[in-house]
Amino acid sequence: MAVIEGQSRPIQRLQLADSWRRAWRSGDWWRQLVLLAFLFFMFLPFIITFIISFKDIPQFDHAPFRVTFPLHPVNYVDAWRIVSRYIYNSLIASSASVIGMVILAAIAAWAFARYPFPGREIFFFGVLALLMVPGELTLIPAFLLVKTLGLLNTRWVLIAPYIAGGQVFAIFILRQFFEALPGEMFEAARIDGANEWQVFRHIGIPLSQSILGVVAIMHVLSTWNDIIWPLVTLSSDKLMTLTIGLYAFRTAYYTIWGPLMAGYVIASIPLIILFAFTSRLFVEGLSSGAIKM
Amino acid sequence: MTTDEMRATAPNATQVNPTIPEERVSGLWERVYRYRFVYVMLVPTFVLLFTFNYYPAFMGLYRAFFKWDIGLQPEFLGLGNFQKLFLEDDVFLKSLRHVSILTSWRVISAVTFPFIVAELIFNLRNHIHKYTYRVLIILPAVVPGIVNLLLWQFIYDGTHGLLNAFLEGIGLENLQQPWLGSPKTSLYAVTFMGFPWVGGVTVLIYLAGLQGISDEIIDSSLVDGCSGLRRIFAIDIPLILGQFKLIIVLAVIGGLQGWVAIFVMTAGGPGTASMVPGLWMYNNAFLWNKMGYASAIGMFLFLLILSLTILNIKFMKTSDV
Repeated sequence: MAVIEGQSRPIQRLQLADSWRRAWRSGDWWRQLVLLAFLFFMFLPFIITFIISFKDIPQFDHAPFRVTFPLHPVNYVDAWRIVSRYIYNSLIASSASVIGMVILAAIAAWAFARYPFPGREIFFFGVLALLMVPGELTLIPAFLLVKTLGLLNTRWVLIAPYIAGGQVFAIFILRQFFEALPGEMFEAARIDGANEWQVFRHIGIPLSQSILGVVAIMHVLSTWNDIIWPLVTLSSDKLMTLTIGLYAFRTAYYTIWGPLMAGYVIASIPLIILFAFTSRLFVEGLSSGAIKM
Repeated sequence: MTTDEMRATAPNATQVNPTIPEERVSGLWERVYRYRFVYVMLVPTFVLLFTFNYYPAFMGLYRAFFKWDIGLQPEFLGLGNFQKLFLEDDVFLKSLRHVSILTSWRVISAVTFPFIVAELIFNLRNHIHKYTYRVLIILPAVVPGIVNLLLWQFIYDGTHGLLNAFLEGIGLENLQQPWLGSPKTSLYAVTFMGFPWVGGVTVLIYLAGLQGISDEIIDSSLVDGCSGLRRIFAIDIPLILGQFKLIIVLAVIGGLQGWVAIFVMTAGGPGTASMVPGLWMYNNAFLWNKMGYASAIGMFLFLLILSLTILNIKFMKTSDV
């Protein structure tokens, strides 16, 4: 009977059964099971946050971890009133510094990668050495420096050090990438009459978009998540970034979990949006370039 | 005649290394001049680095040898700060023990759980699934770190916390406690937070290494009957030692610098039950204005990180295939 039924599309049936059997034998099903278990526990805190963010106080006291009705989206309105300013401040600090950082790092890395100028390796070592300097060593003198410069409680107190510090890692990554670009293309452009700036701007940069993107995203992630530097340099509530704003918010709303959790959800949205647009770039940039020592 | 003149202009250089042809010798300054625009390109970068990186770094090293309270004239102490740190400061010595527990667990968890996940994803046959899991694994990384910390604070909460609710659910009420508020558990609570300890970026770094292993090696190992766990230990791990090395270095550095999490979760408390050196430095500097003493702790952390990193790089040999 199976033969008669199978006669219409025998080959395809065979392939289907075969691939199914292969998947079973190869063990993909248990791999996926284990992966899903890992993922479940990784996402569990966020799922519960999301559930709690719709609760009012009695609902939370009664059944903290189950979905309860009616939902209270008004929590989000309350949270937004407080968190929106912090998001705005973080957006300014991260975007201004990422633009400045990428421009400066790309120019410097290009110089290191493509010109055998005297002193190149010494200067480059000077940059690399900074990778070994932890924030603990520089925190106190840097704080006293910006205090002397009168930068405390300004936007520049975040932007300028973020540009300076972010360059180090970016130059390190970008130089390797620029060096690997085929030199013939730049020679050809020069022969065609392009000057050095045009070679960089119209050939080098377009070829490096993906790695520039990875460097930029990593910079945004690290500045967005920075806690200590904004904490010690910003005391005015008007300028607080998201991290220290949320910290203050938690202290103020300690037992009112609904709006607090709504605030956490709102705080996560900007990076999730960024990730939605760049995930492919990010995942592939991290997976392809052999990042190792 | 002309060659003699040229030789006369650069006598020192020719004496130092007579084998270098004359064009090269006179070329140094010429090359500096030719590449003058390159130095201009580097000026903005180095101005910023000098202001916000080099100067504070050297200042931090220098002031570690001073008694330096805000508003007072710095007073040179020699090694006095370090003497106090290691001989008299019990909290600091205790914090060293804490940070070694924290860092050890970070290293252990970073070389096991993310690697298991990376192997699982790597061995999936279906490429669409492979890509989907890669994206899902990295997704939690975009939730702001502070949100994660505050969530874990909530999980450990004594009255409303998820962990206590879970213990009640499985009938272990007697284990319930304020995890962060009790001196017995606070250090372990902050050490083991982040369950199931799978960092998305770490997984992707391992995965990149696994994908870099050439197909011929995997195929020939299959022909030789080497598969499953045996292949992981005989082929995968030795071939991605470079990635392991990077992850270990990052975990050690992250453990020693991971005091911000403790600052948010427990502020080192209760009392000093979960104090770590970085936080002790912060307290000395920004609560008690003892900048010189705090700089000494900063310098100690710098030297510790530096030597551990060098040790790690020397100790684990990378073999590139």
